[in-house]
Amino acid sequence: MNNEQLNDRNVSDGYFLVDIEDYPTDGWGKFKRVIKRTFRGELFVGLWVVLREMIRFDTHTIKYPEEKMPIGPRYRAVHEMKRLWESDAERCIGCGLCEKICISNCIRIDTRLDENSRKEVSEYTINLGRCIFCGYCAEVCPELAITHGGEYENASDQREHFVDYAGMLTPLDKMKAGTQVEFEGFGAITPHEDERVKKTPLAY
Amino acid sequence: MDKIINFKINGISVEAQKGETILTVARKNDIYIPTMCYISKTTPCASCRMCVVEASGVEGFVLSCNTPPTEGIEITTNNAELENERINIMKLYDVNHPLECGVCDKSGECDLQNKTLEFDIQKQNFSARDQARPIQQWGLINYDPALCILCEKCVHVCNEVIGDDAIEVKFGGYSSVIIPKNADTLDCTFCGECIAVCPVGALISSDFQYKANSWELSRVPATCAHCSAGCSLEYETRHMGINGADELYRVKNNFEFTSLCGAGRFGFDFDNKATKDDAAFHKAVEALKNAAAIRFSSIITNEEAHILQLLKEKLGIKLFNEDARKFAEFMKSYSSVSGKLHHSGSLDAIKQSDAAIILGSRIATDNPGVRYALTTAARHNGAKIVYAHPMEDVLMQNVTTQMMKYEVGTEEGVIALLASAILSDADLDESEKAFFDDLDLGYIYAETNLGEEEFSLMMKSFSRAKNRVLIVGNDLIAHERSDNIAKLVALIEKYSDFSIVVVPREVNTLGVSLINTLDIDEDIIDVVGYNDNGNFVISSLEYANLSVPALNQQEGTVVSIDNRVLPTNAALGFDGYNLNDLANALGIHKKNTIDYTKELNTNAGFKDIEFDNLENFLSKMGDDVRGYLLDEVTCQADGQLEELDDLPEFNGTIIYHADPVLQFNAYTNKTKQLEKDNFLRGSAQFSVAAKISDGDIVDITFGSTTIQREFKLDSELKGTIALNPTFDINVDPSRYRFEKSKIVRVM
Repeated sequence: MNNEQLNDRNVSDGYFLVDIEDYPTDGWGKFKRVIKRTFRGELFVGLWVVLREMIRFDTHTIKYPEEKMPIGPRYRAVHEMKRLWESDAERCIGCGLCEKICISNCIRIDTRLDENSRKEVSEYTINLGRCIFCGYCAEVCPELAITHGGEYENASDQREHFVDYAGMLTPLDKMKAGTQVEFEGFGAITPHEDERVKKTPLAY
Repeated sequence: MDKIINFKINGISVEAQKGETILTVARKNDIYIPTMCYISKTTPCASCRMCVVEASGVEGFVLSCNTPPTEGIEITTNNAELENERINIMKLYDVNHPLECGVCDKSGECDLQNKTLEFDIQKQNFSARDQARPIQQWGLINYDPALCILCEKCVHVCNEVIGDDAIEVKFGGYSSVIIPKNADTLDCTFCGECIAVCPVGALISSDFQYKANSWELSRVPATCAHCSAGCSLEYETRHMGINGADELYRVKNNFEFTSLCGAGRFGFDFDNKATKDDAAFHKAVEALKNAAAIRFSSIITNEEAHILQLLKEKLGIKLFNEDARKFAEFMKSYSSVSGKLHHSGSLDAIKQSDAAIILGSRIATDNPGVRYALTTAARHNGAKIVYAHPMEDVLMQNVTTQMMKYEVGTEEGVIALLASAILSDADLDESEKAFFDDLDLGYIYAETNLGEEEFSLMMKSFSRAKNRVLIVGNDLIAHERSDNIAKLVALIEKYSDFSIVVVPREVNTLGVSLINTLDIDEDIIDVVGYNDNGNFVISSLEYANLSVPALNQQEGTVVSIDNRVLPTNAALGFDGYNLNDLANALGIHKKNTIDYTKELNTNAGFKDIEFDNLENFLSKMGDDVRGYLLDEVTCQADGQLEELDDLPEFNGTIIYHADPVLQFNAYTNKTKQLEKDNFLRGSAQFSVAAKISDGDIVDITFGSTTIQREFKLDSELKGTIALNPTFDINVDPSRYRFEKSKIVRVM
């Protein structure tokens, strides 16, 4: 597309005026408009439609909050922390990349050396008041540990209800049941990834 | 004359000085040759073979790190063959290297990672059976053999620069590892230099491990606040925990060219926390108004010292600082003979020396910077090092070529003997000649317990030396006869090619001695203590009436042993009041403490330079461009030598005030990681003489002080002198460091 189209300021071609009656200006004209609108019967058309649909019980709306729309797999709502399928252990290795990349500076992570000489996440918070749900944290995560979830209802009396590390982790019973849902959005592995894995040569 | 060699690298004509290798010349000329094991401050390890180049007329590859160029040779640093060679080396380095970069503490500052990406190593073509290699915990240092690439940098630094010689490579092909030398676990001075030089995350500070990533830490260039070596370092800070305030996480140094001791590296958390306490502030102002004197320590910046001097002039009070006063007196006597205000040597002079004498200091713990310089000299120049002290020091054994063990208290005799040996052929003037002619050598030899042959041996070993250094320690400065000793030291400087290094006791003893006019300490009331004792204490330590920032929380300058004015910066904030606020309240107006930097005493060599114009880094080639060197100041040389006094005798149980490794003062005592080893340490011989045994709690009385300590038998010590640490007690720094003491067993 070239810019000429955009730069064309001539409005005479292709534009036309909508055929709208002029507004009445004098008192008599205004009075006539009120009478005309009042006795046209459109109100009763509307009332009839409502009555008809009520009798038919053919509802097209969703009864929120009892009913909820299914959310797309790439929807970026409140974060989740995933577990490993093999061991149910936390996927997060505490590398701190999500903290580094976060453009609204809302992630804070604190790590330490645990008894087994491994890196352990001791504290992790996301300040949802600042989070803009850009999805960079999920994209940068090398372990697919932090992802977005489908939980878009961000109303609570305690902000901590969403961003406490334990709360973000997939519950263990969900892991046992094998119902942890992988995030398919930003940062997820592309399809057929395992076919591209090259094995390390092992001569022995 | 040094010959200059002309040759070409990649077609560019370059010049090499004698002793330079192809690699150093290439680096000087901004020509890139990749290396993995090369480190500028040691001799080349030549273990990585990454630095291979092609030389015209030479078959095969040449290692550029340890090959000096020849005239007219043409060097190619990169072509397809060399690239292939390097790629193969990198492939081998990467075999089975754990893929834990995500959690590794190097967090991207990794040579292996950089080079792997640089040479685009995508996959592992070789294989080797991986082996279980458990992580070793060596106290302050953790070692992960699985990450180690055996570049040997740590071993070379430990041996050649530090002098601990505590680690070595256990060779075994693929299963080679770094192991503690002749021991099960690491037994060393824990300088942590091996951590600094490690190009991967194999050697790591155990305190820092897995706490933070390098990219999260903000770096503050500063100067170490623990001793007078004035090492450059970088404090790294980050918020503590999730919502915490900034804290210090670790200290790093430019390990390519400089070294840092363990106190600098691990003893960084001596910062002071306070809020603005107005009541205490007003009390402090009142206390200063009513004070008769201010007693202060030398662990302050030049600017603070300058403010104290202004306060002295404004309020007409006295300034007490025994440590700097003794140093100033020593230097005054010194300059009255040498004609120069400052001593002539520096750490660089020691590093480049090939002959050195250390007199009157347990230098390895008094000033590790000097020790490292001596180790460098010994290892790289084969320097002959004479260690003259009443006590042997295990830490110096590796580098010392000759031990001169003299009797306690006879320093004046020792320096006279040294001077007469060194200046035997010098062109002395009449009175000086007379001084040496009048020496009763027989008496001095007998009293000092030194032999004539020791001096002739020393002079013989020094005969070929070109750069000679005399290092003078605190035993001479705090000696009763320091006046005459200083003159004799100056005489050596004046008439010989020795350069002299006088080791100041604290970080800024030198600066304070140049800025302040000090009075003799009197035991009076109405003394305000500034980082020291007093009736009203303004201090960055515990138990202060008014808290002020510690040295890592303020900007300012200190004067190092090199006579260099070094800037230091605030790593952490401080919310309370500082000395400048007090001065402002007392009518000495300046907005910031650092506004005084350009007003420092120019008569003492300070320059009229704003603090913000002082640099604080080392150049790419390792030149120290931090701060500035004090201007040389000449003064009148009218000092006359005095006749030698009778040499004192010290009998009974003698203690020597010397801190253990990694401890210097109350600030190092405050830190979390450094070991607080406050035992009275003595040999078996001492324990017999003092009638105490290992583990006894004893009362030690010296002068008017009595302290209680646990006695520890130390198999590394000899003789009848015990070591008494001073970092946790207040010792009068004007007193001679050897003390006759009474030791009573309590339990």
